[in-house]
Amino acid sequence: MTQAEIKLCSLLLQEHFGEIVEKIGVHLIRTGCQPLRVIAHDTETSLDQVKKALCVLIQHNLVIYQVHKRGVVEYEAQCSRMLRMLRYPRYIYTAKTLYNDTGELIVEELLLNGKMTMSAVVKKVADRLTETMEDGKTMDYTEVSNTFVRLADTHFVQRCPIVSATETAEPTPPPPAPTLVINEKDMYLVPKLSLIGKGKRRRSSDEDAAGEPKAKRAKHIESKEPIPDDGIYWQANLDRFHQHFRDQAIVSAVANRMDQTSSEIVRTMLRMSEITTPSCAPFTHPLSSNEIFRSLPVGYNVSKQVLDQYLTLLADDPLEFVGKSGDSGGGMYVINLHKALASLATATLESVVQERFGSRCARIFRLVLQKKHLEQKQVEDFAMIPAKEAKDMLYKMLSENFISLQEIPKTPDHAPSRTFYLYTVTVLSAARMLLHRCYKSIANLIERRQFETKENKRLLDKSQRIEAIIASMQATGAEETQLQEIEEMITAPERQQLETLKRNVNKLDASEIQVDETIFLLESYIESTMKRL
Amino acid sequence: MKGSDNQEKLVYQIIEDAGNKGGDWRLKLWYLHIVTYALNQVCHHPTPRHTFFIGCFLCSRRIWSRDIRYKSNLPLTEINKILKNLESKKLIKAVKSVAASKKKVYMLYNLQPDRSVTGGAWYSDQDFESEFVEVLNQQCFKFLQTKADTARESKQNPMIQRNSSFASSHEVWKYICELGISKVELSMEDIETILNTLIYDGKVEMTIIAAKEGTVGSVDGHMKLYKAVNPIISPTGLVRAPCGLCPVFDDCHEGGEISPSNCVYMMEWLEF
Repeated sequence: MTQAEIKLCSLLLQEHFGEIVEKIGVHLIRTGCQPLRVIAHDTETSLDQVKKALCVLIQHNLVIYQVHKRGVVEYEAQCSRMLRMLRYPRYIYTAKTLYNDTGELIVEELLLNGKMTMSAVVKKVADRLTETMEDGKTMDYTEVSNTFVRLADTHFVQRCPIVSATETAEPTPPPPAPTLVINEKDMYLVPKLSLIGKGKRRRSSDEDAAGEPKAKRAKHIESKEPIPDDGIYWQANLDRFHQHFRDQAIVSAVANRMDQTSSEIVRTMLRMSEITTPSCAPFTHPLSSNEIFRSLPVGYNVSKQVLDQYLTLLADDPLEFVGKSGDSGGGMYVINLHKALASLATATLESVVQERFGSRCARIFRLVLQKKHLEQKQVEDFAMIPAKEAKDMLYKMLSENFISLQEIPKTPDHAPSRTFYLYTVTVLSAARMLLHRCYKSIANLIERRQFETKENKRLLDKSQRIEAIIASMQATGAEETQLQEIEEMITAPERQQLETLKRNVNKLDASEIQVDETIFLLESYIESTMKRL
Repeated sequence: MKGSDNQEKLVYQIIEDAGNKGGDWRLKLWYLHIVTYALNQVCHHPTPRHTFFIGCFLCSRRIWSRDIRYKSNLPLTEINKILKNLESKKLIKAVKSVAASKKKVYMLYNLQPDRSVTGGAWYSDQDFESEFVEVLNQQCFKFLQTKADTARESKQNPMIQRNSSFASSHEVWKYICELGISKVELSMEDIETILNTLIYDGKVEMTIIAAKEGTVGSVDGHMKLYKAVNPIISPTGLVRAPCGLCPVFDDCHEGGEISPSNCVYMMEWLEF
C-alpha cells in the first residue's frame, strides 16, 4: 500500500468512524495480518476498545479474519475496500436512478450499516419514507420488500456468508473463529417473508414526553417478536455496481463517437450479458442479432435490416468495442470489454496530457502512442512541430513519466552517440502513476474541506445553536417577532460567510466524486490487464 | 586509365554511371556536350581534375564538399579554388541543407534542389512554417467537420450516412487547392501529412478502402478516407480539480510550505 493510499484510508476512516477505529485500521493496513493482542499492544489501546473497533470494521467488511495454525486468529485490513467508501454517493445515486427513492434508501441503509437483515432494512426504509410523505399517508412494507426483491434479482444486493451448519457426531469445542461460507446459488435467494405493516411516523412529541418508558417499551416489543429471518444478512454487491458503471462508460463512449441509436444497441447488448458474463471477463458471451432485435427497448422502432447495418458499422469501427464472432443466427456479436476499458484508460491519459501540457503535447503523446516507438527526428516530422519545441515537449513529458525512453545500442559499449533512443508510451505504468496522483489529490481535497470547516467552526456552532433555539421556540409556539429577533443574531456578513462555506464544501465534495470517476476507469483497466497477464 | 584523353575519362565515368542507374544514352551525350562547352569556358587548359569534378556533379544530383575531396583526393585549397571558379562561371550552385544548416551542398546550376534538402513545402528559407501548417490543419478539419455534420443531418440509413461522412484525401486536396491559401503548390502527399497530424490530434480517423485503379485519387489500388470524430470521453475528473494540473504537486504535503490548507490554486478555484 502506497503512502497516498494509506493517508486516504486514514482520512476516510476518521471521517466515517472516528479516531479509535482510524488508529486500529491504519495500523492494520501498515502491518498486515495481526492477532488481537498484538494490535492492542502496538497501538497502546485497551483490549476492549480494540475489540469494539474491530467489530465495527468487520461489520463493514473492511477487515477480514482468518484462523491460522495453532488456533490464532489474525485480522487483515482490506485497503481497496476502504477506498470504496469514496464511491458510496455514486452507488446510492445509481440505485436511485434505477429503483427510485425506495431503492436509494435501501442501498443507503445497507451501505451505512454494513450488513443487515431484510426485515430490519424494510422496516427502517418504510419509516424513513413515511417521514417524507404527506400527513396521513404511510409507506407499505410490501412495496419496500418488492423493491428489495428486485434489487436481489438484479444482483445489486447479496447475502453475506453465514456460519455453515455442520453436523458433528461428538461435540467438539467451537473453533476460535467461525468460518463463513456461502453457496453460489443461495447468494441472491430472498427468504420467504411475509412482512406486513406500515411505516411509522416518528412523532416529535413522543420523543420529549416519557423518553425512558418509551425505550423500555421498544425493547419489550422487539424481544417479543422473533425476527423471522434472523441470521440471514444482506450486503450491497459492489462488483455489480462497478459492472454497471463500466457499462455506462462504454455506452456513453459509443454515443460520443457514433450516435444515439448505436449506443442504445450497445446498451441492450450489455444488459443482456449482465447476469451471464462474469464481471472480469474480457469478452461478453456472443449474442445473435436476432436476440438483440428481440431485446431492444419497446419504444425503438428499428427494423431488422437497419439493426444489422448498425451492428456491422459497430463491428467495423476503429474503436473495436464490438466484434463479430460468427455468422449463425444472423451474426454473432460480442463486446470486447478489455479493449473498451483500455480505450477509456488511454483517453483518460490523453485528456490529462492535453489539460496539463497543451494540445501540441497531446498531439505528440497520441503520435507516440499510435506508432509505438519513435526517434526524436521522426516525432518532429510526423507531428509537424518545429524541432526545438518538439524536443522541449518530449522532455517535459519524459520528466513527468508519461513517456519513457528505450535504448537500443548499436555497439556493445552502449556509447550514446552510437545508440538509438526511442520514445514509447507504456499505458499500464502511466495509468498506475496517474492513479497514485488521483489518490493524493482526493486526500488533498478532503484535507482542504476539513480545514475550511475547522476555520469556520465557531460560526457553524453559533448557527446550529440558533437553529436549535428557533426550532424549540417554534414547537412551544412563539411569536413571529421573537423568532425574527433570534434570527437576527446572525449578522449579514456572517450569513454570507456561511453561504460561502457551504458552497466551498459542496464544490470540494463534488470534486472528490469527479476524481473518483477517473480512479474507477484507471482501476478497472489495471485490474482487467493484470487478469490477462 | 592513365594517359587517356580527358574527354575519354569523362565518357567512361558517365557510362559507368549509366550502367548503375540506367540512364538514357542520348541524355548522357547531351550532358557530354555541355561539359565540353563548360570545360572550354572554365579554363583554357582543362585539367583532368576539372573534368573529374564535373563528372562527379553529373553522377550525383548533389554533392557535399567533403565528398568531393574524398572522391578526387585533391587538397582542400585546390578544391575551394576550383569550386569558386565554377560558381562564378554559373555552372554549379551552393544550396543550404535543411537537415544540417552548416553543410553546403553543391549541384549543377540548372537542377532544382531535391525535397530532402530544402524540406519541401513546409520550409521557406530554412524556416519551418508552423503558422502555415496550423492554418492548413484548421481548414482541413473544418472541411471534414462540415462534411460529417451534413451527413449526420441527412438522417438516412446508417450505412449511407457513414459513407457520406468520409472524404478521400483527393477531395481534401482539391478543396485546399481551390481555397487558394497556399502560395506553394501542395501535392496530395503534403495534404496527407497534414491529415495525419489531425489524426494525432484525435479529431479525425482514417480508413483505407480498396479502389479501382482508374478512380480519381487512388494510389496503387487503394484510397485513404478521412472522417471527423468526437472524443470518446469528456475531460476526465482529475483535471477538474486543481490538484490535477498543479505544477508543485510533488512538493505538497500537510504541514509543509505548500499544503492543501494554504494552497493558492485551491483558493482561486473555490472563488471561481
